[in-house]
Formats: sequence, C-alpha cells, structure tokens
Amino acid sequence: MYVVLAFLAVSLLLYVLLAGADFGAGIIELFSSKENQAINKKTVYQVMGPVWEANHIWIIILIVILWIAFPNYYNILVLALHIPLTLVLLGITLRGVAFVFRYYDAYKDNSQILYDWMFKVSSLITPIFLGLTMGGVISGNIINPSEMENHSFLDVYVFSWFNTFSILTGCFYAALCAFLASIFLIGEVDDTSKPIYIRKASIATILVVSLGFITLTYGYFYGIAFVVDFIGNIWSISAIVISGILLFPLWKSIKSGRIIVSRVLAGLQIFFILFAATITHFPNVLFTTTGSISIFDRPVPQSVMNVLGISLLIGGALIIPGLFHLLKSFKLIKLLER
Amino acid sequence: MIMENIDAARLQMAFTLVFHIIFACIGMVMPFFMVVSHKKWLNTRNPIYLTLTKSWQKGVAIFFVTGAVSGTALSFELGLLWPEFMKHAGPIIGMPFSLEGAAFFVEAVALGFYLYGWKRIPEKFHWFTGIIVGISGVMSGILVVSANAWMNAPSGFDYINGEFLNIDPVKALLNPAWFTQALHMTLAAFTATGFAVGGLHAYQVYKKRNVELHKKAFKIAITFAAIAAILQPLSGDLSAKDIAERQPVKLAAMEAHYETKKGAPLYIGGIVDNKTQEVKYKIEIPNALSFLAFGDFNAEVKGLNDFPENERPNVAMVHYAFQTMVGLGCLLVIAGIVFFVAKFKKNSWFNIPKFWLLFSLLAPMGFIALEAGWVVTEVGRQPWIIHNIMKTKDAVTPMPGIVFSLYTYIAVYTILTIAVTWLMARQIKFLNDIKTYEA
Repeated sequence: MYVVLAFLAVSLLLYVLLAGADFGAGIIELFSSKENQAINKKTVYQVMGPVWEANHIWIIILIVILWIAFPNYYNILVLALHIPLTLVLLGITLRGVAFVFRYYDAYKDNSQILYDWMFKVSSLITPIFLGLTMGGVISGNIINPSEMENHSFLDVYVFSWFNTFSILTGCFYAALCAFLASIFLIGEVDDTSKPIYIRKASIATILVVSLGFITLTYGYFYGIAFVVDFIGNIWSISAIVISGILLFPLWKSIKSGRIIVSRVLAGLQIFFILFAATITHFPNVLFTTTGSISIFDRPVPQSVMNVLGISLLIGGALIIPGLFHLLKSFKLIKLLER
Repeated sequence: MIMENIDAARLQMAFTLVFHIIFACIGMVMPFFMVVSHKKWLNTRNPIYLTLTKSWQKGVAIFFVTGAVSGTALSFELGLLWPEFMKHAGPIIGMPFSLEGAAFFVEAVALGFYLYGWKRIPEKFHWFTGIIVGISGVMSGILVVSANAWMNAPSGFDYINGEFLNIDPVKALLNPAWFTQALHMTLAAFTATGFAVGGLHAYQVYKKRNVELHKKAFKIAITFAAIAAILQPLSGDLSAKDIAERQPVKLAAMEAHYETKKGAPLYIGGIVDNKTQEVKYKIEIPNALSFLAFGDFNAEVKGLNDFPENERPNVAMVHYAFQTMVGLGCLLVIAGIVFFVAKFKKNSWFNIPKFWLLFSLLAPMGFIALEAGWVVTEVGRQPWIIHNIMKTKDAVTPMPGIVFSLYTYIAVYTILTIAVTWLMARQIKFLNDIKTYEA
C-alpha cells in the first residue's frame, strides 16, 4: 500500500517536473524571437532528445496505478473530466509527433515551419488543459456519479472543469512549466545565450508568483473549499511560504551561475507546491459539489495492492539504474560530478 | 442519422486500435532488423550496412514515438470510453499493464542509448542496447495481448452477484488464452512488419534504385517474415482449438456454422446470409471443421443456433474477416517458401524483375491479415466486453456525444497517417540520394 502510494506520488512529482520542463521548452520557444527559437530548437534536441520519451512515460504509470489501485477514484475522474483529458491527450499526441518530425525528417525544408508551430502550440495547450484537469479535481464542481442523472450535460461534463478557478490553475501550471524549462535550459546553453534564458526565467518567475497569488486569492474569496482549508492549514501554508522564500536563494544561484543548485531549488519548489496541495485534505483529494471523496473510497483487495506494489518495485529496480545511466552517459548530470 | 453512443465509442476504439497495432508492430519488430544489420556492419565493416542501420533506426524512432503516443491515447481511452469496464477490470488485469509500463520504460531508455549512442558509448554495448529495445518491445506486446486474452478468457476472480471477488491478478495475467494469443500475435507482428518492410525495399529494387542496399535490406526483413509466416499456421491451429473449447460461439461465427453437427464441414469463402442462415458460393470440405477444432473428424461442433440471438456476434463480419486472415496467411506462407527456394537457388531468381514486383505487391498483405485477425477476435467476442461476464453496452461511458470525439480522432489519425507515410517516403528518397554514410 505504501509502496503504491509512494510510486503514485513519485510519478506525479516526476511528471509535473520533467514533462513540465519539456512542455516549458516549447512554451519558451513560442514566446521567443526568431534567432532565439533556432537556439532553443537545437538545445532542446541535444538535451531532451535522449530522455524526452522517458519523461512522458510517468503519466502512463500514473494512470495505470490509479486505475488498478484506486478504480473508484479514477472512475469519477474519467467521467467528469472526459473532455479536458481528451484534449490533453490530443495535445500529447500532436506534440510527440511534431517533436519527432522536426528532428527526424530526412530533409530540412519548409515543412519544418509547420512542425515547429505544431510543437510550440501543443506545448502550450497541453499543460493548460492538464492544469485545467487538476483544477477541476480540486475546484469542487465535479458532480458525484450517483447524482449525475439530476444534472444537465453542461453541469456534469463541462462546468466541472470549465470554471474560473480551473482556468487559473491551468495558466498557473503552464507558467510553472516555462519557469522550470528556463531554469533548466540556462545550464545547457553556451555563455552567449545564457542571458536570453535568464531573462525568460525572470519573466516566468513573475508570472508564476502572480498567477499563484491570483489563483489562491480568487479561490479564497469565492469560497472554494479546497483553497479555504488550504490557507487555514499550517502545513500547506508553510510549505507554500517555504516555496516562496526559496525563490531568493534560487535567483542568487542563477546570478552566480551555480546551475545545479538552481535546479535543485526549482525542483524543491515544485515539491513544496505539490506537497502543499495534497497534504491539507489527503486522502480526500477530490472535490465534488457534495463534498470531498477519498482516494481510498471502496478500496481494492489487499492482494491486488501487494501484486501491484511488487511489480512496481521490480519495474523500478529495472528502470532506475538504466535511466540514471542514460542521464549519466549523456552528461546531463556531469555538473553533479564537477 | 445520429449514431448511438455505444457505436461511436466502439468505432473510436476500433479506429484507434487499428492504427496503434500497425505503429506498435513496426516499432516492436523493426529493432530486430536494425540490430541484424548493425551486427553485419560490425562484422564486415561494409558501409552499406551502416547506412541501412542508420536509416532503419530513424524508422524505429518514428514508429516508436507514434506507437507510444497512440498507446498513451489508448490508456486514456480505455478509461474515458469504458469507465464501467475499467472500474472492475482495472484491479484484475492492471498487472500486465503496469509491467507493460515497466517494459516500455526500459525500451525508451534503451532506445535513448541506441539513438544517441553512436561513437559515444562502446560499440558492443551500443549494439546490445539495440537488442534490449527489441526484447522489451516484444515483452510489452505480449503483456498487452495477455490483458486482451483475459477479456476472452476471464479468470483470476470469482463473479458473485455482480461483484468481482477473490481477485488474483497473477492468475488473471496467466489466463488460459494468454499463451496462444501472445504467440499468434508475436508471429503475426513479425510476418506483417517483415513483409511490409521487405516489400518497400523490394519495390526500390524493382525500380532499380540503390539496388545493392535495398537487396540487403530486403533479405534481412524477409528472412524474419518468412520464418514467422511458415510457423504461423501451427500457432493458428493452437488458437483455433483454444477458441473451440472456450468460445464456441466465436468459432461458429468464424465458420458461419449455424447448426450443431457431428463431423462438421469447413466452409471456405462464400457469402453469408444471416436471415436464411445460408452460406452461398462456398467451397465445402467435409468433416474438416470438426478435425481442425477438436482433432477428431466426427467431433460435435456447436452451431450458432445453440446460443441466444442476443449473444451472437455479427456473423458475416467475423466470417469474412476470418477468411481474409487465413487466405492471406496462406499466401504469405507460399511467399515465404518462394523466398527460401530463391535463396537456395543461388540468387538466380533475385535477378528476375517479376520476383521483386511480386514481393512489392505483398507488402500490405501481412497487415491486412493481422487487422482481420483482430476483427475476428474483437467482433467475435461481442456482445461481451468480458466474455460471458460484462456486456459492452454496460461498460460504455454515460457521457453523450461521443460521436464528436470520434470525428476528432478520425481527423487527427488520418492526418497522422498521411504525415508518417510522407515522412517514410522522404526517408527512402533520402536514402537513395545519399548512397552511403561515411563509416
């Protein structure tokens, strides 16, 4: 049980972090001048080429764990959030395809323009809808399946995620992606291009902080249960405060060129944000119009949990050394050794 | 006409699966061609093999990604379209999916090494990562097919008063159908991909473009395909006997066999008329069906009329699909034999243009047979989503308007297919333009 939960938490964190940085790279490219786009395109290929597939497998693991170990919880998600999840999916599809096309097409000609646009736009749209989905989970507009019959199509399938709070969450996550990517890429480009990414990182930081602030304030004043409890909870509020304070050493390390420190700090910030978001109500991390639902609602038998836990451990034992070696071989963590 | 929600959901599932199967098979089998060519490069240092390896590697990368994204799509769709099914089946057959996730992860890591490892990591280790890509790909395929086999042969739980109790995920994974289905599908993947890849290269030889390279490519691909094609009937026989025992209604639909009979005849071809329950214009082989299904010329084979009308699949569709699969399968066995004879005859047939034309024409046949086979197993199981446990109509999402989701998918996948085909054509053109890589 704990193994399964730990894997669920780790995959969520890694997906938000790694795929976030991945999406962010595309978002940055979308908001760059022409020459900077070319630099970005090259860097993304060098840095993320070998690992980007691995980054996105975390979401498959996430989904598989949810549906095996927490089927009731998963069931509510896929019903109410059908539409944004479909859109996330389309985004992931287009993005993956565009990524391959723009780097593997045998000829580099005008068709590259199309691939680049596909890549950039889907890089922005996907995290927004992902954030919308997450916002939907916590905004308290999901209608419990047992009561679906008394509500209209729009109430059940649209307003559960299409509301101001969820949209703000979506934008917040997209900004977070750009933030992660810019900080990550600072360490990967040569010295002449560093200022570009430092500038991007500062814009992204401002966006993240202000969107985060707006989202929370909005949630507080409109009485979104999740936010109200969140602000009243000592653990989550202190985690958010720590995450905010970390911005200062983060910027100090960026300015002084300590790449690894800045990456660790940025990662920690995400950790604290996720921690803050889940700790208040855990395990009741789904909010419907009629109250919250526990992830342990109608649990699966212990035998299923055990088998899943064991297969995850075996899988992890196979994957993690390989992944580590992959990163090492391609000198992504050369800086750690320095 | 407004399409029913369930029909839209089924069509969407079928449509996305049709594509995923092609992408996944190629992504799973091509690494084997690639490592053979790579090995030949290491052994002979003939730059043609290096060129070939590098261009196949691009193909692997493209199909791996399209396979991966269409697979991600399916992992979402299972829940989005069939929430009731996943709610109950998730805990039971989740295990192959979680293991598949792990195998897939290993594949992604190994592919990262392989694609970006040229001249950066030791040669032998680099080659070995290619082997890992292939093996983990096949493992993924087997695991997913096992999950599908469970839908045909549900096991590993007790079904009491509509509740799934005493769940045993290991038993569900090793359900009675997993081995026959996984074997049949793995061989099919090798046959279909081998003939498709070999066929494309054969066409290039036929057109006299970069002949030396394309001949080498053809031989590697077709050798795998021919062996798999020749072994496939044995595996098909195992599958047929398995279906005869556990899903007699599916077997009856495959053969358009309406009346229970001892010493049942085998129908080849024919047009099915479900109203009059007749099969017109068929070739009839007496007692053959009884023999193929049970190994006894006089065994009793249950007919469709033994089953309630609302528990029968669409007979005509299953029958035609089955005939297509078997017919094309036999054709490919012959083609495989032709290839080995040609090889044995010291290359003389390799100089006849018609030989190359023949194999070019065979390129799509393996995949047509493979898709037909999936129609047999999936349509043949209807109206059940879990055989004799849960009906498909009870599993579908209550959300209305799935038909719009279907249209979106059709549009996106059609564009994807055109794009991938175009990309492949460019790869081949590029290959013919540059001749060889620097060693």
